[in-house]
Amino acid sequence: MKIAAIAGSNANHSYNRMLLEYMANRYKDQDQFDVIDIRPVPMFNESFRGDLPQSVKDIDQRIQAADAVIIASPEYNHSITSALKSTIEWLSYQVHPLDHKPVWTTGASTLAQGTSRSQVQLRDILISPGLNASLCQMSEFFLSDVRNEMDEDGNLTNPVTIKVLDKCMAEFRPFARAINRLTEEMKQQ
Amino acid sequence: MKKILAFVGTNADFSYNRLLLRFMKKHFKQMAEIEIYEVRKLPPFSVDTPLSEQTEVWKLKQKVKQADGLVFSTPEYDHGIPAVLKSAIEWLSYHTTVLKKKPTMVVGVAYGRQASARSQVQMRQILISPDCDTNLLPGNEVLIGNVKQTFAKDGRIVDQEIVDNLEQCFTHFIEYIQIFENVRRTDLQMSVKQPTISDAYVQFPTGRLTLKQVQQIFSTIPFEVDLIDADDRFAWYSDKPNREHVRNVASLNETVQECHPPMAVPAVMSIINSFREGKRDVVTRPLWMKGHRSLIQYYALRDVDGHYLGTIEFTGSVEYILQLFENGAWDQDATTGASQSGADASTGASQNDDEESSEPDASTGASENDSNGNKQADASTGASETGSVDAEDDDADASTGASQHDDK
Repeated sequence: MKIAAIAGSNANHSYNRMLLEYMANRYKDQDQFDVIDIRPVPMFNESFRGDLPQSVKDIDQRIQAADAVIIASPEYNHSITSALKSTIEWLSYQVHPLDHKPVWTTGASTLAQGTSRSQVQLRDILISPGLNASLCQMSEFFLSDVRNEMDEDGNLTNPVTIKVLDKCMAEFRPFARAINRLTEEMKQQ
Repeated sequence: MKKILAFVGTNADFSYNRLLLRFMKKHFKQMAEIEIYEVRKLPPFSVDTPLSEQTEVWKLKQKVKQADGLVFSTPEYDHGIPAVLKSAIEWLSYHTTVLKKKPTMVVGVAYGRQASARSQVQMRQILISPDCDTNLLPGNEVLIGNVKQTFAKDGRIVDQEIVDNLEQCFTHFIEYIQIFENVRRTDLQMSVKQPTISDAYVQFPTGRLTLKQVQQIFSTIPFEVDLIDADDRFAWYSDKPNREHVRNVASLNETVQECHPPMAVPAVMSIINSFREGKRDVVTRPLWMKGHRSLIQYYALRDVDGHYLGTIEFTGSVEYILQLFENGAWDQDATTGASQSGADASTGASQNDDEESSEPDASTGASENDSNGNKQADASTGASETGSVDAEDDDADASTGASQHDDK
């Protein structure tokens, strides 16, 4: 399955980007991950007119080319980062690549809550009319205490954690295929 | 009158939220002084943003510190607050505590009937998260929808029910601010006019001063004094009228990084570090401030064993001294007159300073005086006697520009 994986941080060192890269490697036999870096995306402005910024066009095309999307978001002040929110706003403005796209959210954090609150918020945002993503609300994966869960090369070290992640992916793939079939069917009608 | 900083929660060229705040500014001008802040002035938040691009962030933090309360007016984008508003909050909660316990209020306008209800819930949740920790005004919802029927073309709100609600909520907000003010007054670190215990005194090796005298000495001497303590925190400043550097008690206990404009931080840290490491004891910077010639001198503050206690910054206009000099006050012919006025000014106590200057109590600073008269211009501080007057090197340029920012 082709998966566009968006890292929701614009920090140069990001555990969320590292988590997605780990997943890209772990699931390479089954999935083709495309890890998307949002650092080049400018701040969204609704007064913007004209051609979309190249970074937004690029992300739009990569999401369109994917069968499914995974977003890994850190948590700042109980909510998602402004950098991720800005990217999402661009993707709900002139282009809408997440419309009916199967999306699963996850997140890594150095603290105990493991982004649980920002994920609730992110889900609420993803089902808003301007985005209309097909949100996968099956198993959840919040990677808390990431400094102890990840080694220096970005590999998860705890077998129990890895098992949960495997389970989530095993649920998400059939979910995404079903959604895409459904969408195809709706288009044909 | 309460000072309110009101954030326009969008970077759009046209915004009903901006119109709402403009309406409030006008409508409540008897109750509060509302300053409207545009979040679009800030760079997008990133932990990797270089300090040199954070000047606007620093300016905003100063505004927040000086405000009695904050109002956020937010539209709704995709069930949430705009990224650009979130970015501002991230700046105000990253490596700073300016939002802590600050009274806040959320209002908002949206085109549809939902009237930014969801983004306001999100905004409230963000404002009470631990890194923000604001004193959020509960209830008092200002949810303005159906903008076309609500706003006249000139920005007035024509729906009387909405105006009534807005008046009620904003009045509650002002009351809410006052509640916290009464709580906070007791633990202010330095009341502006009086030291905390008025009849206590300090016994110096060279005499006794009451706290009131200490306070008034610092208010009277023609130089203003600031202290960065050994932990690099802004610990104290002298309460001198018409200061060159306007300071605020809200900045007390901040780190050097927080209380200086980002561009100035490297130069300041280099001075402080050189003091801490014992590489030098004084840095002198002559410069123009507010149209007159001023002198800033930094001194390493040390105990009798030479351990670093902090850095003191002396700033003052030297216009009067220079005029004396230019008018020949030190010329041989004029000696009589000049030295008389000098004697008056420097008091009898200082006459034998020539001998005492090598003694360690020089570092108390406050009680010192100079009469060694000659080339040392840095008269008013005892501490300076260990240092040479070195019209400084490369640092001087860097920090000159920075301190001009300070003035604003």
